[in-house]
Amino acid sequence: MVAGKKTKKTHESINNRLALVMKSGKFTLGHKTVLKSLRSSKGKLIIISNNCPPLCKSEIEYYAMLAKVGVHHYNGNNVDLGTACGKYFRVSCLSIIDPGDSDIIKSIPGDQ
Amino acid sequence: MVKFLKPNKAVIVLQGRYSGRKAVIVRSFDDGTRDRPYGHCLVAGIKKYPSKVIKKDSAKKTAKKSRVKCFIKVVNYRHLMPTRYTLDVDLKDVVAPDCLQSKDKKVTAAKETKKRFEERFKTGKNRWFFTKLRF
Repeated sequence: MVAGKKTKKTHESINNRLALVMKSGKFTLGHKTVLKSLRSSKGKLIIISNNCPPLCKSEIEYYAMLAKVGVHHYNGNNVDLGTACGKYFRVSCLSIIDPGDSDIIKSIPGDQ
Repeated sequence: MVKFLKPNKAVIVLQGRYSGRKAVIVRSFDDGTRDRPYGHCLVAGIKKYPSKVIKKDSAKKTAKKSRVKCFIKVVNYRHLMPTRYTLDVDLKDVVAPDCLQSKDKKVTAAKETKKRFEERFKTGKNRWFFTKLRF
């Protein structure tokens, strides 16, 4: 799995797709609700920031493995992810329940 | 998007008196009930793990060391850690939601699950389930 340096272009496209999801889709922000969405099998894609605490990260990844849901490791910290969501607070993890008009679910796990 | 909190799933209880104990989901109530408006499930778990049996042990000692003490509990999903393991022991007829209402029903259900757990332990399958979680 070559992570390498994520090109600026793909990073921006993730941000664009996230913005579209925020506008038109359903999502939840935060560790507690991410786990809740995974347990109820509502979450379709999980995005985790790069400075999410390792225990939380592992827990979410394990739940996602059980639920067979893709996890995307966002190339930025929780401040950046919060900004990408258009919020004025930090977001360490978020779960996309309904992508709305966005094609984030089809395109992003493929990139990973 | 696969539901994984299903019957026969092995879980670890995280909170309460039985925290750190392994249990198996017998029945799950995803949308809750009127008394418990949250997702919860009925689990049957191990209160006291069986001890380590060595080759030197006599038959009497092996029998004593292989005893399993069980508990039956209704637990919120939030207080469980699901694992990738399953334990297909048929407990549906033994453990029912109403068996927690009276003490003697609970005791008979626990005794029956104890029997089933012990016979599963003796076959040597599902070894992970019967080993104590070290933490």
